[in-house]
Amino acid sequence: MARSGSATPTPPSSPPSTPPSTPNLATRMQRRFEAEEFLFHEAALLDGRRFDEWLNLLTDDIHYWMPIRRTTQAREVALEFTAPGGMAFFDDNKDILTLRVQRLSVGRAWAEDPPSRTRRLITNVCVADADDHSLTVHSNFHLHRSRLNSEEDTWFGRREDMLRRTDEGLKLARRHIFLDQTVILAQNMSSLF
Amino acid sequence: MSETVIPNFSQQNQIDIGACYNRDTGVLDRRIFADEQIYRLELKKIFGRAWNFMCHESQLPRPGSFFMNYIGEDEVIVVRDRAQKINVLLNSCPHRGNTVCRAELGTTNSFFCSYHGWNFDLDGSLVGMPGEEPFYRNGLQKSAWGLTPAAKVESYRGFVFATLDPAAPALVDYLGWVGRLGIDIMASQGDLEFLDGVHKNRIKCNWKIAVDNLYDWYHVKVSHGTALKLGIVQEEYMSPMSQMVMLGEYGHGIGGPGLTEAEQLDFDARMAGASGTTRWFDGPASARRDPAIRTQLGPVGTRSFGHPNIFPNLWVSITQQLCLRIPRGPFETELWWFNYLPKGLSANDRRRAVFAQNHMFGPAGFLEQDDGENWSHSTRGARGTFGQTLPLNFSMGKGQDVMSRDPSGQSRIETVVNEHGQRWTYQSWQDWMQADSWPELMARHSMPPQGSV
Repeated sequence: MARSGSATPTPPSSPPSTPPSTPNLATRMQRRFEAEEFLFHEAALLDGRRFDEWLNLLTDDIHYWMPIRRTTQAREVALEFTAPGGMAFFDDNKDILTLRVQRLSVGRAWAEDPPSRTRRLITNVCVADADDHSLTVHSNFHLHRSRLNSEEDTWFGRREDMLRRTDEGLKLARRHIFLDQTVILAQNMSSLF
Repeated sequence: MSETVIPNFSQQNQIDIGACYNRDTGVLDRRIFADEQIYRLELKKIFGRAWNFMCHESQLPRPGSFFMNYIGEDEVIVVRDRAQKINVLLNSCPHRGNTVCRAELGTTNSFFCSYHGWNFDLDGSLVGMPGEEPFYRNGLQKSAWGLTPAAKVESYRGFVFATLDPAAPALVDYLGWVGRLGIDIMASQGDLEFLDGVHKNRIKCNWKIAVDNLYDWYHVKVSHGTALKLGIVQEEYMSPMSQMVMLGEYGHGIGGPGLTEAEQLDFDARMAGASGTTRWFDGPASARRDPAIRTQLGPVGTRSFGHPNIFPNLWVSITQQLCLRIPRGPFETELWWFNYLPKGLSANDRRRAVFAQNHMFGPAGFLEQDDGENWSHSTRGARGTFGQTLPLNFSMGKGQDVMSRDPSGQSRIETVVNEHGQRWTYQSWQDWMQADSWPELMARHSMPPQGSV
C-alpha cells in the first residue's frame, strides 16, 4: 500500500446521522412514516415500470446525481467521490430524467427491450433533517436487475434525498446516490436508482 | 464476393490465424472472439508488445501523483517521480508478487508492500525492507529487486504510452501519421486538461468487438435509434453520406464522417461571407477554422470528423472523450472513459461541455446504454459449437472504393458508410498474431493500401 504523511484525511460524504432528538416521538414517527411511504411508493412505481407516474413525483428543479466512486488510500478518502459539477454517472435535471423515461417508449431502447425486471429494496430510512417545507431523508438501497433468461446485476448504495412538501404532497427535489461499486460491474445503468 | 467456406468441426481445435480472416472476401472466423488460447496469445503478442495508453500528463500533476492502469491483464502504476519523470511500474512486489498499491489514483511518497514491508521509491527502486541486516545479513542486492518498469515510456503531445517490449519502435514511429493525427485532433483543441473521474464499467464482450464498433457508422441508426429519435444527437451528422477513412501501419485508423472537398470549399466560402445555407458540418468544421490547426491536421485531416483508434484499444471519440478497452478474459471487457477539455474555458462553456460528456458515453450515457446489449450478444454468438463454424460478414464497401493520396501526402478513402476500418483492424490483428517479435512485425506487417480497396 502506498504511504505518505502529508494529506489530512477528510471524511467522505456523511453517513446517515442519528434521527434528530429534539422533536417528540410522535413527530419523529410521523416524519419517518411519511418518508417511508413516499420512498416505498416511488420504488413500487419504478419496479412496476410506471415511469410516467414516477416523473410526477419529481419537482421541476430536481437534481439527480451519482458521482463516480474510486478506490483510494485511507488517508486520501477525500478523493473517493468525484466533486459536484464534475464527472458523474448521473448529473440530471428534470429534462434529462424525462428523456430517460421517453427513451423507453420510442422504440429501439435495446438495453430495456425486452424490459428488465427490477426490484428495489429500500431500507435504513432515516429522516436526517426536517422543517415545514422539506424532509432530508437518508436511505440504503439494493437494486436488483434481472434481464432475459440469465443476466443479473445488483447495486448496493445509499441515497441522500430531499423531499419537498407541495400542494400535491411530497415530491423528490434532490437525490444524491452513492454507489458502493467503483467499476460498474454491469454493461450499463439503464435503471433508475 | 466469392463463396464463403464453412469450416468443419474437425478443424475446431486448431485455429489457423492466417485463415481466421479472409482478406479476399472480408469474411471472419468468429472463434477469435471466444477462444481462450487466442485470447492468451493476444495478451502476449498484442498487449505485451504494443504501445498501450496509460494516461495524460495532466493526471499526474506533481511528484508522487499516481494513476493505476493495465497492460493487458497486468496492473501497472503510472507515477511521476521526484525528477518529474513518468514511470510505469508493474504493480507486483518481487518478493511474493503482492500488489504494492491498491488505490486507483492518488499521491504517495513511496510504494510500501503490505505483506512484509518492502518499500519502493517512485522510480521503482527498492529502498529497503525490514530485516535487511539481521535476516538478509546485508546480502540482498537491492538494485536488482525493484519494481519492474515498462520497457519504454514515452509521451506524444501529453498522452503517455508504455510498452513492455524493448524492441518496440519509438512511439512517434509506432503511431505513424494516422495515429499521430488521431492525437493531434485532440491536442489541436488547446492545452488539454483531463477531468477528474474516469467512467469505468464492464461489458461481457470480447475486446475486439468493442474496438471494431468504433469504426461502425452503420449501427448508429439502429443501435442508437433512441438518441436519434429523441434529438439527442443530430441524424444528419451521425450518419452523413460522406465518410472518410484513413489507415495506418500497425492497425491504426480513422473512420467516420468527413467533409468532401466540395463541402469544405462550400464551408470556407460561407464562412468568408458568401451566401449559402447551413449544413450538417457547420458545427464541427467551425472548430477547425484556425489556419494553425488546419496546418497541424493537414488538408485531409482537417476534413475528418471520424473516430481514430490507436491500435490496439484506444478509441478517440469526437465528444472530447477517449475510451480504453481493457481485456478481462475472452468474454469480458472493461471500458474506461477519460474526459478532457481545453484549459481556460469559461465557467459556462465548461459546465455545458461536462454536461454533454456525462450524458453521451459511460454506462448511463444516452449513446452507450444500448451498445453493451449488442456487443455482449455478438460475443455470445461466437460461443455456440455450431455457431462457431459460421463466418461473419465484414464485406461492406469491399472492392468498391479507392485509397488515394492527397498532394500533401495524406491518403484517404472518400466514401459512404463502410467497413474498411474493421477489415483493417482484423488484417492488422493477423499481422500482430502471426509475428513472433517486433523485428518480424516491422518486416512483415501490412502496409496501408493504395488504389482499389
